[in-house]
Amino acid sequence: MKYQITHSTHYKYTDAVGTCHNEVRLTPRALPNQLCPSSLIDVTPVPSAILGRRDFFGNTVNYFSIQHPHNELRIIAKSEVERLVTDIPDFSASPAWEDIRDGLRKQTSLEALEARQFVLDSTFAARAQEFATYACHSFPPEKKFLPGVDDLMRRIHSDFKYAPGTTTIATPLSLVMEQKKGVCQDFAHLAIACLRSIGLPARYVSGYLETDSPPGKEKLAGSDASHAWFAVFDPNLGWIDFDPTNNIIPAERHITLAWGRDFSDVTPLKGVIFGSGKHKLSVSVDVQRKG
Amino acid sequence: MWGGEGHIRSHWRPLMEAIEKMGIAAVKKRYGDTLRFLRENGVSYHVHAGSSHRRPWEFDIIPLVIGIEDWNAIERGMIQRAELLNLILCDIYGKQTLLRERILPLELVHGHSGFLRPCVNMPFPSSHPLFLYGADLARGPDGRMWVIGDRAQTPYGSGYALENRTGLSRVLPGLLRDCKVRRLARFFKEVCDGLAELSLQRNDDPRIFLLTSGPSDQTYFEHAYLASYLGITLVEGDDLVVRDGKVWMKSLNGLHPVDVILRRVDDALCDPLELREDSRQGVAGLLEAMRLGNVAVVNQPGSGVVENPGLLAFLPSIAKHFLGEDLLLPSAATWWCGHPAERDHVLANLDKLVIKSIHRQPNTRPIFGATLSQEGLDAWRSRIRESPHMYVGQEQVGFSTAPALVSGNLEARHTVLRCFLLSRKNGYLVMPGGLACCAALRESIEASGEAGGISKDTWVVSDEDEEYISLWKQPGLIGEVSTGSGLLPSRAAENLFWTGRYAERCEAVARFLRTVINRYNLVQEGGEAQDTECLNVLLRSLASLTSTSPGFIGAGSSSKFRNPANEINAVALNLDREGSLSASVQSLVRAAFAVRDRWSADTWRIINGLEGIWGRLQAQKGASRQAILSSLDELISGLIGFTGATMETMTRSHGWILLDIGRRIERAALLTNLLRSTVIHKHSEEVERLVLETVLTASECLITYRRRYHTFMRLDTALDLLLLDETNPRSLIYQLNRVTANFEELPLERSETRLTQIERLLLDATTRLRLSDLTSITTPSDTEEDYGRLDELLDLTNQKLAGMATAFVQSYFIHAQAPTQLAPTIT
Repeated sequence: MKYQITHSTHYKYTDAVGTCHNEVRLTPRALPNQLCPSSLIDVTPVPSAILGRRDFFGNTVNYFSIQHPHNELRIIAKSEVERLVTDIPDFSASPAWEDIRDGLRKQTSLEALEARQFVLDSTFAARAQEFATYACHSFPPEKKFLPGVDDLMRRIHSDFKYAPGTTTIATPLSLVMEQKKGVCQDFAHLAIACLRSIGLPARYVSGYLETDSPPGKEKLAGSDASHAWFAVFDPNLGWIDFDPTNNIIPAERHITLAWGRDFSDVTPLKGVIFGSGKHKLSVSVDVQRKG
Repeated sequence: MWGGEGHIRSHWRPLMEAIEKMGIAAVKKRYGDTLRFLRENGVSYHVHAGSSHRRPWEFDIIPLVIGIEDWNAIERGMIQRAELLNLILCDIYGKQTLLRERILPLELVHGHSGFLRPCVNMPFPSSHPLFLYGADLARGPDGRMWVIGDRAQTPYGSGYALENRTGLSRVLPGLLRDCKVRRLARFFKEVCDGLAELSLQRNDDPRIFLLTSGPSDQTYFEHAYLASYLGITLVEGDDLVVRDGKVWMKSLNGLHPVDVILRRVDDALCDPLELREDSRQGVAGLLEAMRLGNVAVVNQPGSGVVENPGLLAFLPSIAKHFLGEDLLLPSAATWWCGHPAERDHVLANLDKLVIKSIHRQPNTRPIFGATLSQEGLDAWRSRIRESPHMYVGQEQVGFSTAPALVSGNLEARHTVLRCFLLSRKNGYLVMPGGLACCAALRESIEASGEAGGISKDTWVVSDEDEEYISLWKQPGLIGEVSTGSGLLPSRAAENLFWTGRYAERCEAVARFLRTVINRYNLVQEGGEAQDTECLNVLLRSLASLTSTSPGFIGAGSSSKFRNPANEINAVALNLDREGSLSASVQSLVRAAFAVRDRWSADTWRIINGLEGIWGRLQAQKGASRQAILSSLDELISGLIGFTGATMETMTRSHGWILLDIGRRIERAALLTNLLRSTVIHKHSEEVERLVLETVLTASECLITYRRRYHTFMRLDTALDLLLLDETNPRSLIYQLNRVTANFEELPLERSETRLTQIERLLLDATTRLRLSDLTSITTPSDTEEDYGRLDELLDLTNQKLAGMATAFVQSYFIHAQAPTQLAPTIT
């Protein structure tokens, strides 16, 4: 499946901003099941240079700075992505979850070593007793790992209400847990915190979801802007994605942008501006199927 | 101090014999002298980070003495450790072989708050990103020095050590020479050379800056002290900006390139774009500039990752891996709880161990298991079980003590020595000495600045004489290198401007208060009716000058006139009252402290003295008028001294010009204010004469007036002297002329044909004043209650002055724009 993705971010300032420094993570990752033949970032006003590099997690970051007074900033990222269809692996071959928890340190592969960082706390997804308690229902003793994760995803989808506007990036997970509502970002963080709380590796994935629902298929939630889900590490199968907002295993309709420990590692656009006024933000995302 | 069998160790002997010979009374006297020297120099340490309360430096006159043989062993061990930590640092942020080969567990590094992911794979400015390194040592039960802590981000203390040495060498000069104490100067010369070399890789005219976290930092004294000792420019984050991937300093005459930054800002605060977003101390885009190789920052941000007590458990095997050596210096046996067997050992022996978090957090201290109750132990056990990789258990070592002079007695106190190392081409160099710190309490085993410890000098004594080293650059070595010390960052410029304004305000208010109190005393002793009326005019004027309304003006003023004593006291001494003399003195000291590196030692001593004079008076509950009067005299002398010192010791560079502009604008504004609140009001002739005389006294013009006009006290002649006399350094026109002359020296984009806003305001005020007809405007018309046209002239001048002050701030102090974070885009 081929897609044309347009991600526009527009900041309007009440007073002119003298200088800004920005970092964007809007380039889709190249993966075995995802090709990204082209990705362009267009910034107005035009910065003197846009400098690209790979961050700690291998995501592409672009840095730019605008050094003259401006009243608005527009960033348009246009990418072509080809999502290859792959079979969903057989979860029943997965080991018991306790073996993952206790066995990760004995694994010798570099991938397994790196997966260990995703068991540790991070800013938006830290371990806590309440998350461990919630997770335990999906992970009784000896339960197979991936079916357990699948069950956790299903429970989050049914226990929590998708309610845009009820949370912000500053809403603590404990409040999400209490209110039982939030957006894709909260559900991804919640699942990650639950898994880490019982010693399992989980990471945050940011990306897009196909906007137009093909005939006969239901429209998925979270499709108006960028989307987020999580992934877990199985030593035999590698990283497997789960989308708790839609209770599905991401396949050809999910496009991966970046991953990290939580949202703070993959913020699509970060910036420091020098100016005294306020700013207004509008974002739009368009994912078009091609051919 | 004691060797085996109760003998004094030989290297202590000369010192102890000298102390015995001097007698304890003489030593105490010398101690007092040293302490006074250090305090007069304003050596201070903030008790709490962020508080403005500065604690005077605590100092013990008895140095920690280390014999040369002992020292050589320490030096070897420290060099090995610095090399090792540098290799670890390079590896963690580079190839990561220690993690990949499982010599270091991933959780110990990734779980540490000092591990900064954006710094991974960043180029190093040299092979030794650990440019400066500090280690805390204590003498273990085996008589050897043990390492008890590592400081790799911004190791502080070398400046304090230098100042302690300077203080001690003033009171015990002969003893230092006789004991052949190793000198510290060479170490600092090497720091200069090392910084210059970091920039020589880039160009021939390096610009080196010391980035401070600002005057609220607990060790800000040291930042300013080192900057001026090393001859490099002190800047705050807001003074720097990244443009085109390069770092620049915003100075009065534009942007200056920055090549090298010696930072005293914590790792995580260096760049609000990539590191902690809420940081106001860093520079947005700094990491990107480092990646491009356009600036060298030492120590490399991220260095804090090696400040990890958990590393101790793995250091021996890392030393084998990298160096093929055993560690030379011992440290306490350490168990990292991230491994199950070690965790179980710690849990089982918690009551005998010291518990430490793997990262240093503010306000956390090591926990001594032996001091915990059963509940306390259980609480720590469950904390460790929850996040085992975050904790270590450490054997509790009985460290030995060193003598300290406490309340006139020699006592044994637990003592810690912080050593400093610097990376040079040929390897690490150890400062021969260091900052020793002894416990504040006899029983205490904690000896650190944070724990309220007392600092002391450290003497490395040898048998050989040492050659004298000067910090002056040797021609032919790196003589061409110019540091950026001639530059004036715009923040420093603003602080100098405000120092000038506050100094003038303090002096004017102090003089006026003195006049008011004298007049009040006269009234109290049974003055005439006109004395009371004059006093009332002065009280209203005091409120106007200090902007302390409501008070003698504003709501409730009538009751204050019936009994003015309390309100006079409040305007003088109430620190919480905006505009009070106390508040102005505090603002003056703050502004001057923020440019601490710009003052000569003598000038700083005066500033410090001002705070002392007024602080002592404030501390007295219900100070008598007499006490206030005599402190006012002292304060005024101090302020005159400050002005004299700045006149006679500062070069007429931009810094001095701004100081003077601040002073002139303030003096002019206060004079117009004083006249508007006194002489423009009509009173009986007698009262008007009295008021005029007081105004001339408060303006320091009475003597001149008498000499010129003898005994005729008339408004127009007085105003001649106060407003128009271009030769009178107290007159209004004189201030405007000075501002005009100063302004011409400042850089500004000027147009050939058009005046700038400041020029226009100056010209307007000056011309209006020159053209005014004093005889006419001081001849009252019968229809007017007051001298209305005079008031109008003064009011207009005052407005122009206010406009000028604002225009100066806007045109010259460009750091004022604060950074904001853009709201993140979220789903």
